[in-house]
Amino acid sequence: MQRWKQYGGLLGLFGVCLAAGLWGFTATGGALPWAKRSATTLQRGVRDGGGSLVDLSRGIVVAGPIRKNGLLFEYGLIAGALVVSGIALYVYVDRYRTATEDERVTR
Amino acid sequence: MAHIHLGEGSFPVWALVFWTLVGTGLLSAVAYRVRKGGIRTNQIALAGIGAAASFAIFQLNIPVWGGIHMNLTGLVGILAGPLLGALIALVVNIFSAALGHGAVGLLGANVLVNATEAVVAYYLFTTLIGMDWDVFPASASAATVGLSAGAVLMGVIIVVSGVNGSALPRGDLAVAVGGLVGLNLGVAVIEGILTGFIVQFLASVRPDLVGVEEREVREEETPGVTA
Repeated sequence: MQRWKQYGGLLGLFGVCLAAGLWGFTATGGALPWAKRSATTLQRGVRDGGGSLVDLSRGIVVAGPIRKNGLLFEYGLIAGALVVSGIALYVYVDRYRTATEDERVTR
Repeated sequence: MAHIHLGEGSFPVWALVFWTLVGTGLLSAVAYRVRKGGIRTNQIALAGIGAAASFAIFQLNIPVWGGIHMNLTGLVGILAGPLLGALIALVVNIFSAALGHGAVGLLGANVLVNATEAVVAYYLFTTLIGMDWDVFPASASAATVGLSAGAVLMGVIIVVSGVNGSALPRGDLAVAVGGLVGLNLGVAVIEGILTGFIVQFLASVRPDLVGVEEREVREEETPGVTA
């Protein structure tokens, strides 16, 4: 398919989604964290609000339930274990693939 | 991305039982297909890395649209496939619920939502690649549509179930949920672009991981100008 059609379709899709996102943002209270937005909207219904779409001063923070319950260490532990096992699997499979055939199926 | 972020007891008991049964049914079908068909070894490695990335980013609140989180399930579906994608959705949701991010009772519903994202993204990506789309628009579109499908399913689950303690009539609840779904569509764009760049990078360094190696070979074999 022609490239302009591919990117045109993608831009159209993004346009529709962004328009829906903007409506959802204002209709559900404006600049609120997801958990608070979700709880208040489902209890009280739609209520217009404003605020900036991007607020870099907030920074990237760990989700409230983990941060407030002091589970940052456990979060780091689980994420670290998953990363290590993922990389280990990748290395293992990469070596295994070169040692044998490409399309081997494990059962 | 789409995630039913409500506390324990928010859904009526019948809804908890129903969505748990549907989620269990889906996972049983996935386990049967995996057992019967097997899994390619490279998918196992990608599933491990995908689960790690999905879980880690799932817990991070990003200061866009008021504060949202991503979960990369579209990327996971494209890389690991629909079967492992559904299993990764289960693993990520279990760990998240264990840390208090998402109710344990909503595991079935949340797995359904996230598995839908992975499955839709995978099948749309393979379809678009089959139609000779470039990797970036194919993966970005697939992830965006997959995540949108998950967001819509999330909305349907909430409206069908009802929310305990909410005084909203069903019609007003549907409008309120529509707003949440709409916001998730906006987030899907961010995640879709991110997914597009990651898949394009992987396709350039390891096309076999993304399943586009045959096309690369075909393009290399195609003669340019013939006399």
